[in-house]
Amino acid sequence: MTDEYIELHAASAFSFLEGASLPEDLIQRAATLNMPAMALLDRNGVYGSARFHTLAHKYGVRAHVGAEIAVSSLGNRLMPPAWLPHQHTPEPARIPLLCASRAGYQNLCQMITRFKMRETTKCEGAATFEDLENFSGGLICLTGGEEGPLASALVRGGESEAIEVTEKLVRLFGPKNVYVELQRHGEREEEWRNQAAIRIAQRLGLPVVATNGVRYANAYDREILDVFTSIRHHTDLEHAGRLLTVNQQRYLRNAQEMKDRFSDLPLAIANTAALSQRLEFELNDLGYEFPRYPVPQGDTMDSFLRKRSAEGVLKRYGSKQNHGLLEKAQKQVERELALIEKLGFAGYFLIVWDLVDYCKRNDILVQGRGSAANSAVCYALEITAVDPIGMELLFERFLSESRGEWPDIDLDLPSGDKREQAIQYIYQRYGELGAAITANVITYRGKSAAREVGKAMSFDPETLSRLSSLVSQWEWKGKTDTLENSFLHAGFDVEHAHIHKFLELCMRIQDLPRHLGQHSGGMVICQGQLDRVVPLERSSMPGRTVVQWDKEDCADLGIIKVDLLGLGMMSVIQDSLVLVAQHYGEPVDLAQLPQDPVVYETLQRADTVGMFQVESRAQMASLPRNHPEIFYDLVVQVAIIRPGPIVGKMMHPYMRRRQKKEAVTYPHPSLIPVLKRTLGVPLFQEQLLRMAMTVADFSGSEAEELRRAVGMRRSWQRMEQLEVKLRSGMTKNGLDAATQDNIIQNITSFALYGFPESHAASFALIAYASAYFKVRYLAAFTCAILNNQPMGFYMPAVLVKDAQRHGLRIHPIDVQVSQWPCTIEHESNGERSMRMGLMYAKGLRQDIGEAIISSRSQSGLFHSAEDLTRRVPLLQRKELTLLARIGALNSLNGIHHRRDAVWQVEEAVRPVGPLLKQQRGHQVSSPLRQMSTEERLSADYSGTGLTVGRHPLHYRRLELQAMKVLTSSELRNYKHGEYVRAAGCVIARQRPGTAKGFIFLSMEDETGIANVIITPDLYERERVVVSRSKFVLVEGALQNQDGVIHVKAARIKPLAFHNLEVRSHDFH
Amino acid sequence: MTTRYACVLVREFPLQTLLRMRSELQSRPVAVLQGEPPFEQVCSLNMTARTLGIEPEMTKLEMEMFPTAVVLSRSLKEEAAAHAALLECAGSFSPRVEDQSNDSCFCCVIDIAGTEKLFGSPDALGESLLKQTRALGVRASIAISSNFHAAICLARGHSGAGIRLVPSGMESAALASLSLDVIDLSLEQAETFSLWGITTLGELGNLQETELIARIGQACKELRLLARGESPHLFTPIEPFFLLEERMDLDSPVELLDSLLFIVGVMLDQIIVRAQSRIVALASITIHLDLEGGISHSRTVRPALPNTDRKLWLKLIHLDLQAHPPQAAIQALSVRAQPGSTSKVQLGLFSPQVPEPMRLDVTLARIRAIVGENCAGQAVLKDAHRQDSFRIEPFVVPASATMQQTGGQRLAVRMMRPPETVMVTVRDRQPKSFVFREKRYTVERAYGPWSSAGDWWKPGLWSLEQWDLVARGHDHSWLCCCLTRDLMLEQWQIEALYD
Repeated sequence: MTDEYIELHAASAFSFLEGASLPEDLIQRAATLNMPAMALLDRNGVYGSARFHTLAHKYGVRAHVGAEIAVSSLGNRLMPPAWLPHQHTPEPARIPLLCASRAGYQNLCQMITRFKMRETTKCEGAATFEDLENFSGGLICLTGGEEGPLASALVRGGESEAIEVTEKLVRLFGPKNVYVELQRHGEREEEWRNQAAIRIAQRLGLPVVATNGVRYANAYDREILDVFTSIRHHTDLEHAGRLLTVNQQRYLRNAQEMKDRFSDLPLAIANTAALSQRLEFELNDLGYEFPRYPVPQGDTMDSFLRKRSAEGVLKRYGSKQNHGLLEKAQKQVERELALIEKLGFAGYFLIVWDLVDYCKRNDILVQGRGSAANSAVCYALEITAVDPIGMELLFERFLSESRGEWPDIDLDLPSGDKREQAIQYIYQRYGELGAAITANVITYRGKSAAREVGKAMSFDPETLSRLSSLVSQWEWKGKTDTLENSFLHAGFDVEHAHIHKFLELCMRIQDLPRHLGQHSGGMVICQGQLDRVVPLERSSMPGRTVVQWDKEDCADLGIIKVDLLGLGMMSVIQDSLVLVAQHYGEPVDLAQLPQDPVVYETLQRADTVGMFQVESRAQMASLPRNHPEIFYDLVVQVAIIRPGPIVGKMMHPYMRRRQKKEAVTYPHPSLIPVLKRTLGVPLFQEQLLRMAMTVADFSGSEAEELRRAVGMRRSWQRMEQLEVKLRSGMTKNGLDAATQDNIIQNITSFALYGFPESHAASFALIAYASAYFKVRYLAAFTCAILNNQPMGFYMPAVLVKDAQRHGLRIHPIDVQVSQWPCTIEHESNGERSMRMGLMYAKGLRQDIGEAIISSRSQSGLFHSAEDLTRRVPLLQRKELTLLARIGALNSLNGIHHRRDAVWQVEEAVRPVGPLLKQQRGHQVSSPLRQMSTEERLSADYSGTGLTVGRHPLHYRRLELQAMKVLTSSELRNYKHGEYVRAAGCVIARQRPGTAKGFIFLSMEDETGIANVIITPDLYERERVVVSRSKFVLVEGALQNQDGVIHVKAARIKPLAFHNLEVRSHDFH
Repeated sequence: MTTRYACVLVREFPLQTLLRMRSELQSRPVAVLQGEPPFEQVCSLNMTARTLGIEPEMTKLEMEMFPTAVVLSRSLKEEAAAHAALLECAGSFSPRVEDQSNDSCFCCVIDIAGTEKLFGSPDALGESLLKQTRALGVRASIAISSNFHAAICLARGHSGAGIRLVPSGMESAALASLSLDVIDLSLEQAETFSLWGITTLGELGNLQETELIARIGQACKELRLLARGESPHLFTPIEPFFLLEERMDLDSPVELLDSLLFIVGVMLDQIIVRAQSRIVALASITIHLDLEGGISHSRTVRPALPNTDRKLWLKLIHLDLQAHPPQAAIQALSVRAQPGSTSKVQLGLFSPQVPEPMRLDVTLARIRAIVGENCAGQAVLKDAHRQDSFRIEPFVVPASATMQQTGGQRLAVRMMRPPETVMVTVRDRQPKSFVFREKRYTVERAYGPWSSAGDWWKPGLWSLEQWDLVARGHDHSWLCCCLTRDLMLEQWQIEALYD
């Protein structure tokens, strides 16, 4: 008999609202208590077990895997007796199951998947006896605590019924695999049940085992469990009554405490260790196998991949008429294939190739991104579009032998239906149990925590919504951006005891899981076997299934995934291709876009609104300095304006060298070939690898290991070992100590944040394509981008104004002409213009829009408002007045202005009897006056979110001129340091994490966009104006450097304007 | 006789009410807060406060940004007094006054037709009205018109204090320039008119009636008339406050209850006659006694059903005063009754027989007189973990008589009410001996501790440990009991005895 106690029945916060601690907190406490092993049994899943396992491994604690499984055939779980007032709702009893072997784990996963997938929607579900019969092997069953079947059977039918239930479990799991569970939480009724359970165990010859039915790591966390209980039952703490726990004893106890509790039953404690010994399975023994791809007879996956790659190489490089390049490519592909074959990854490449092939066959634009672009095989298979040989990219960054990790291929697809089509193809190809999306754990954050805890603590909804609106969501968290400050700003007195508790609980539940969502596109594929690796369940989106782990958990356990990411710009490019072919008669081949000097000139001017990756304020501020002239400059541009290079202080040296303000130097002459392209400044992860390979003779995989060791902040020990090796390599190559220090400094400071060159190149391709379409086919590009909103950095209103400034004529919504999306029209002078689509009428449902278009195409144009109402009976008053208000009915007969239309539709929707009609006669025009400019603008913004008429500032220009307010274009004519005054409509607010609390406002007037810098001090003084005002007037010193213009605001005030519903894009 | 109405409107009434008695604050920025702490919000403020940047609905904490501002708490009592004073002032000009006040604004309309001989021309009456309201310490807007609603609209649209007099027949013109805000529009109507660009009463009034009806239905007919100053109104004058109260100062102090009841009987007669004349019954009666030594004594009696049975009332009052007798001789008494509906309760044909309500009231009153006010009724368990948490509810006839009786032997527990505090000796965190009712017991067997704790989110948090003990006394007697330790108070108590 040992002195050990192992907790075998603990639930974490992944029992969603039935547990109050993260698995990490539980395992940390287990390690503190010197518990050699512990089991995590969450409700109907193994959601938390991956991270539980990962951390347990680190602490040297064995992590047992299991779950509490709801079984509908075992009746309902224990409830208070009917004579006691309570609010419990019937729920099936749950049995705790522990995985003794890998087969047991696979059975558990299959069982959970079976009953979860039986449901048609996302819900808890419950197993049946049949499920238990099919999947009981390798599992050990405990009889459970108050949630278990024994407790409810004892209360329901006394010992006889409890014996019956226990015997059923014995029949299902075998006599050696059922343990009678005893828990002691200081509750009278529980002890009564324990005594009965002991008698039953003796009678049936079953072992007893003590557990504490843990729901939280520390006793204090009972408060969180109570809050969760209130949230779960949609009530508050004051009214939750018996739903709440009676005391705080369900924490993780140490062995001595448990032994004291069970001093009369030492065997129950000893059995925990004995049972733990029987639980051989741990998650590192998942038995996950690489997905297989079905190949024709006579082929292996390797030979099939080899053939497809060879074909691809010829197709990609054969046409370039460069024999040297082709030979180089063939060699590289051969090298890669050898490694792929050795590591057994051929199936994975073929699965991705198959998907890409499907997309191509079905006109779905697809492009690989990320480190996959380093691979010549991926390029040959047309998974990626960047030529790694031509660009001299480094394969080891993608795949290396020593990495011990699967390759990661991310695919960009047009967001929306096309992407869904690709996802559904995978489901269909690999079966419902063969593929699923990775989960995304939604956790409690500032706003949601405040709202839900507030409800549980009986705060009124109005107060809570006031608070939620003030919880700061900016990316940069300043000293004042605490939850406590948000409470103060919302008018709460944090000294008040009740509010203090509220605040404390809000902070304590931060980061606890709230529910399981689905990842944006990470798919796990495993030929028909996925449900043996991890349970699958329905997603809230019809036709989708998710695994119970998120992408980090999957990566930690070595499960391979393909990311199918929706990229709005891919949709824009796809739509642009169609529109250009239709309206310009010039088919464009995306793979062969010409390098156009006009496009580069536009980029140099930072005239980039709407362009992929280069449209943000920070990008615009650096474009004139970097002055991109060739494609590679764009690759650097995409990579450089990132938190990494900015924090690593790499951005400014590069820019200074680019502007020839600083000499180009290299840490060592041997690094010239590596760093030449980036003017001696390391910017890409690949360069780090090459630096180590060049100066210290590292192999490709060693260099990749170095990158990862530097990247992971905690692996200091490994980093030190590698540094020794790096130094000895450099010494061997004759580098002096100072150069060595310089190189190591370069590597360590940048490796944390560096960007893969291959990824930057993939993005730069899309960025160039978007710029090309915008410059050459403005109407098509604008039309496509407006039809794919929301996306990008700017709101549609800004995109429209920008297109107009570039000479595109944009027509307003018109029921006689507009389609549902925006369309291209041909003017009489041969130019192309754009017509706003009905989709921009806010609040008009698509089916109604389609009905208007269908009636128009069937029976011709509408004659009058009455005719429209009659022919499209779906149109209600609200929609008609909306259309009238935004001027969409102005082209109907007898309508002279918008209010005319309003007047007429108001009558048309309320047909009157003939008597009143006769009495009124026929009124020619409305008595309502025409809308003023102000009213028209207001109607445009509230009804469509934009105006195709003049910019609101245009109407105030004279007044602003009198106030000496400059336009954004005039600012360019002023010198650096001059005190200026500017005004505009705020189109974007940003508080980047790297900017030390500075806020950047972009404001637009009729001539363009001006940028404003707000200091943290000014923000503190004018918090409301900066974060809420729609139109502002700023004064301050002009910063005009290298063609980059900013106003550093000394004062900011709201510009009294019309009541316009202008929306800005605020980045948090 | 031509109709004439004078409207008296007092804006920011919660603020003006408070400033009435605090004239020194008139020129300072003042804001009034309302709501339960800590969620008070600004509900009323003066112009100086607005200029400072204070806005309605700001919280107390936000108000701290304005250290120069004076912050007062809303007083509904003072508002009621001011309201009554203003109505009384209005009533001194005409007996016909209609109250149109809302939460933030006092507004009443006085029917002044035919008052020329008493108060002079409407102009003079307005001046006099304004003077009197000023004397009451408030700034009012006064409008006089032949149309009831026009008078209100003009007062609302008239910024600042003063008089606005509209000659008869000129209402439409006078109203034309006023904003639509002065009439009470529904949200939908306000949206529609805003969409139409209709912003003034004149624009609304100029629209054709049939065109309007065709577009927004019959409801707009009334709005149009309002806008034109033509809307008719059925004047509903406020009635003098109906108070069922009688008071009597006694010639000599009375000590005997019987003598007092004789007087109460006489007063009750008066009250019952007055109540019956208004076809109401008495729902409750409060007797307020002024006693010797300047102290007072109040009792309220409330039977199950409102009634006018003098005998029953006297009995109930008798029983109540018997249970709660005054502590000194009575010098004066007042009897105030709350009127209630005389309607009878309709019982179902197959409902179980219940006692006759009046007799039950008397019986319950007798019981309450003995056991205490809050100790009669049925005990109902609360949905809470706390030991013994129950509430007393009035007796009700159960909807169905399905009392389930579960068989089997049950242990009898005698709960100690209240529990008895005991001295306990503890070893190894377990009770070993204790003294109960002057006898020392040694614990032979202890089961527990059974622990419970709750209400951690509020000041009343509690935490208990219980033991079930088998203990032997020094005289070899046995005691089976439930011992409780209150961890918050560090107190041991015997809670129950097991038979």
